[in-house]
Amino acid sequence: MKKIFNLQTVYSFLFFVGSLFLLGLIWQAVSIITKNEIPGPLATWVIAKEMFAEPFYDYGPNDKGIGIQLMSSLWRVFLGFGIGSLIAIPLGMLMGTSPFIMRLFNPIVQILRPVSPLAWFPLGLLAFKAAAGATIFIITITSLWPTLINTSFGVSSIPQDHKNVGKAFGFSKWKYITKILIPFALPHIITGLRLSIGIAWMVIVAGEMLSGGSGIGFFVWDSWNGLSLEKILVAILIIGAVGLLLDKLFNMLQNVFAWDKK
Amino acid sequence: MNMEQILEEVIKPEHIAVETQHSISISNVTVSFNTKKGTYTAIKNISLDINKGEIVSFIGHSGCGKSTLMNTISGMTKPTIGHVKANGNLVKGPGPDRGLVFQNYSLLPWLTVFQNIYVAVDSSLKDLTKAEKKQLVEKNLKMVNLWEHQHKLPSHLSGGMKQRVAIARAFAINPKILLLDEPFGALDALTKGTMHVELLKLWNLDNRDKTIVMVTHDIEEAIFLSDRVVVLNNGPEATVKEIVSINLDRPRNKKDIVHNPEYIRIHDRLLSLLVDKLSIHDM
Repeated sequence: MKKIFNLQTVYSFLFFVGSLFLLGLIWQAVSIITKNEIPGPLATWVIAKEMFAEPFYDYGPNDKGIGIQLMSSLWRVFLGFGIGSLIAIPLGMLMGTSPFIMRLFNPIVQILRPVSPLAWFPLGLLAFKAAAGATIFIITITSLWPTLINTSFGVSSIPQDHKNVGKAFGFSKWKYITKILIPFALPHIITGLRLSIGIAWMVIVAGEMLSGGSGIGFFVWDSWNGLSLEKILVAILIIGAVGLLLDKLFNMLQNVFAWDKK
Repeated sequence: MNMEQILEEVIKPEHIAVETQHSISISNVTVSFNTKKGTYTAIKNISLDINKGEIVSFIGHSGCGKSTLMNTISGMTKPTIGHVKANGNLVKGPGPDRGLVFQNYSLLPWLTVFQNIYVAVDSSLKDLTKAEKKQLVEKNLKMVNLWEHQHKLPSHLSGGMKQRVAIARAFAINPKILLLDEPFGALDALTKGTMHVELLKLWNLDNRDKTIVMVTHDIEEAIFLSDRVVVLNNGPEATVKEIVSINLDRPRNKKDIVHNPEYIRIHDRLLSLLVDKLSIHDM
């Protein structure tokens, strides 16, 4: 991080632009092949400009700007992801510390982890009697697994050398957790969080399509009902871009806390 | 070494006088481990008394159980049979009365040099104020000439510097007994020599009050530093083969000592004790 604008960053930028251009070409080709049933980049761009001109308009419950939809989706993702992490990190630490708890909980993790978010949705509806609660519930329960698994792996792989330091100098439980366990496991925990936020962002679209009301997923479904494929395409690009930004954010956190790469 | 000679003169004889109470007392200790192939006995029926202020080395081949024996003193390993007393108390686990230096330094890589020593002081000496603890860290870091490196992470230090931090950490909690497990094994010969002198300097600064037990496989190192060298048989079921007293005057000079007839005699004796086993092993 000495120079921000060196040759490498210029190359990365050029490749990024080139990649976007390639995507546009493929998109245009698909549009031509389907005889404009799928709108091309230019037609979509016209609609996108309209959408971005006033992103925060609010004309009642079924007609809100894309900015508002995005904000409500992000809020739900962070809420679900936050609750999931609050469960996953302490539980992962327990599993990593105690082989007994690991063996007790591991089968549960293995059984529940592959379950599709959509299968959880009815249970969420039943439990929370509301679609909004159900959406957050499915985000929580599908996004907590990578954090749980990575945290428990990180904690269980603390080297004996580090544990010996704690033993030899009589560290209290609290000191062991704050000075050895958490610092060692932190890079693993953040890797888990990075995978989890990715899943949470994927699940939100499905969740909001089912729950309706607001959000980027609802927006996609609503646009389909309104037969505006251009809006759907714009939404897809936004979902992709936000997903990329979230991933970059956690990548940055990974670099901040990577004591082994300093 | 000049520094040592000066210190030697400052220290009055009554400070050096060895007390009658044993600093460490190992009584009939056997250590067995349960492995998949059955019970493995590392050391068997070992008894040894070590006096206060004495420097004792355990020497032997790899896997002979010298580290196991040391771990019964530190409290990291519990004897299967027998018991160990340190400073008059039965050893039940690690404690701040015994400072440890590990072979691979065992510094916490996410903490700076200062913090590495501070956490150890903070957990071991709970009665001190924050300022006193910081002062103690400063004093010990200056003692090993690493004060200007206090903000560095261990990964930015050389092997010798890391080991000096580990030694400063062990000294900082001011233990009556210092346990060194192959402390200089990973260092090059030149750094090793400097570290030997540094260690003795610290020991002198402390009025030769601390008992030092060291595990090593380096004969020259054992003779230069120790008052007694404990030679162990090859494991399993290792026992004490012989205890060799090193009657060489202190301060010892690294360069001159090798020409001392007594040094040569001890060196030959230790070599034959160790090499003898090697040749049997080879057949």
